[in-house]
Amino acid sequence: MTDPWIERLSEYRDGELTDTERSALDAHLAQCETCRGVLDELTRVVARAQSLPDRPPAQDLWPRIAQRIAAPAARPQRWRRIAFSVPQLLAASIVVALLAARVLWLTVAPAERGAPAAAAAPATLTARVAWAGDAQHDAAIAELQAALDAGQRAGRLDSSTVRIVEHNLAVIDTAIVQARRALAADPGSTYLNHHLADTMCRKRDLLRVATMAIASART
Amino acid sequence: MVATLFTLTTLALVQQTDTQVAVRPGMRLDLSNFAGAIAVKAWAENAVRVRAEYSSEGYVELTLEPSALLVKASSRGGPPPSVDYRINAPAWMALDLSGVNTDITIDGAQAPVTAETVNGEVKCRGGAGNISLRSVQGAVGLADAKGHVEVSTVNDDVTLSGVSGDVTAQTVSGDLELRAIDSPNVDVSTVSGSVTYEGTIQDGGHYRFATHNGDVTLGVPDKANATVSVATFNGDFDSSFPISLTGTTKHRFTFTIGSGTARIELETFNGDIKLRRATELRGEHDHEHHEHHEHEEDH
Repeated sequence: MTDPWIERLSEYRDGELTDTERSALDAHLAQCETCRGVLDELTRVVARAQSLPDRPPAQDLWPRIAQRIAAPAARPQRWRRIAFSVPQLLAASIVVALLAARVLWLTVAPAERGAPAAAAAPATLTARVAWAGDAQHDAAIAELQAALDAGQRAGRLDSSTVRIVEHNLAVIDTAIVQARRALAADPGSTYLNHHLADTMCRKRDLLRVATMAIASART
Repeated sequence: MVATLFTLTTLALVQQTDTQVAVRPGMRLDLSNFAGAIAVKAWAENAVRVRAEYSSEGYVELTLEPSALLVKASSRGGPPPSVDYRINAPAWMALDLSGVNTDITIDGAQAPVTAETVNGEVKCRGGAGNISLRSVQGAVGLADAKGHVEVSTVNDDVTLSGVSGDVTAQTVSGDLELRAIDSPNVDVSTVSGSVTYEGTIQDGGHYRFATHNGDVTLGVPDKANATVSVATFNGDFDSSFPISLTGTTKHRFTFTIGSGTARIELETFNGDIKLRRATELRGEHDHEHHEHHEHEEDH
């Protein structure tokens, strides 16, 4: 399964964890090569980001945005437009995809509904919400993990395939961490915004593939 | 209601099946195989010959419907049997092949092809119309095909050559290599792997090549007209021919080749972007190919 600690590595590096959390993660890092690798990459990315010259974007949009915010409304608005960021919209699409996976799982494996869900992060280390979809996203991934486990238990999904899916989820998670970190250092970058969105799409796509693999293995 | 016109069942006592069924133009071959292999080779007959070998207790069932020939193996009570299929089918026959722990090979099709497996390779030579090849744990290769192409895997490479038409190709951990492509729309991406493209850049076309960890190498044909956008967070750009930048931001820059009517996006987060003349890239590839063959012959 995707390591629940991966999402906490950025906070760990930035000294934002509590003493208890930090001790627990220290212990985990001593045993987990994947997390150590991600942490090393994070450190390199941050060093690289800090070494880059601090230049303004070629087209500074902020003055026009600020002007619009400051300007009084011409007339009372009859409706309010709700805008979402690209990551939020993607999170929503991931949740929809995984809800579909949940429905599929319940449909094709009624006998296995009692299967325990995937191991979650320790209660004291519940992931903080970085953006609106994270909590739902994590829950949906747990559902998918349960579906993967059920497929493996039923002997219809090869354990090596499960490992491959998990490995590649970790690969994408690492890429997401790196992209988020880069974006935090340079929030105005169109490329980094799109790259993060694309990488999250890849995660959604992989989850869909995993769901389809489970379905095909049961037919 | 679908009328079943013909059903053939071979019991498990016989470990092989070899049968031939006449089919009419417009029909589809629909085959699912849990484990084993599927090898389909086109022939000139208006018939499908199915040869199957299986080791476990089971049976192979062929069902002829008005629009499709269905081939499926089942077992009596045990796990699904592992079946190696060798099939001859008319080149005009659309193929819908699926498996779980199954390798799929297609040779000579001139019709739409769908081939999906979870743990196994998918190799297809030929195909026309909608072509969809997917695996999770296995390489995917397509050659000499024409149509709307979608290929993907998760943990292996994707290789396309001699393909014309719209192309979408994806993997997560693997390289993407596209050679001799003739397409107005190409969208390929990987997360951990390199991307290589050598093919046409058509006026008004859109081409996107992206990776997170890996290099992107593009062979630009002579007389190409394209606006090229290059983005990298942690890598370098190298061009074997001179370019003039028209726009630069922190992680992206653009330049124009010729009249700039096509749009090309080259993106890598951790990797280099290399621009080469198409002839140059073909030369490098032929040289590597030649060395590879010599190395194999030495062994």
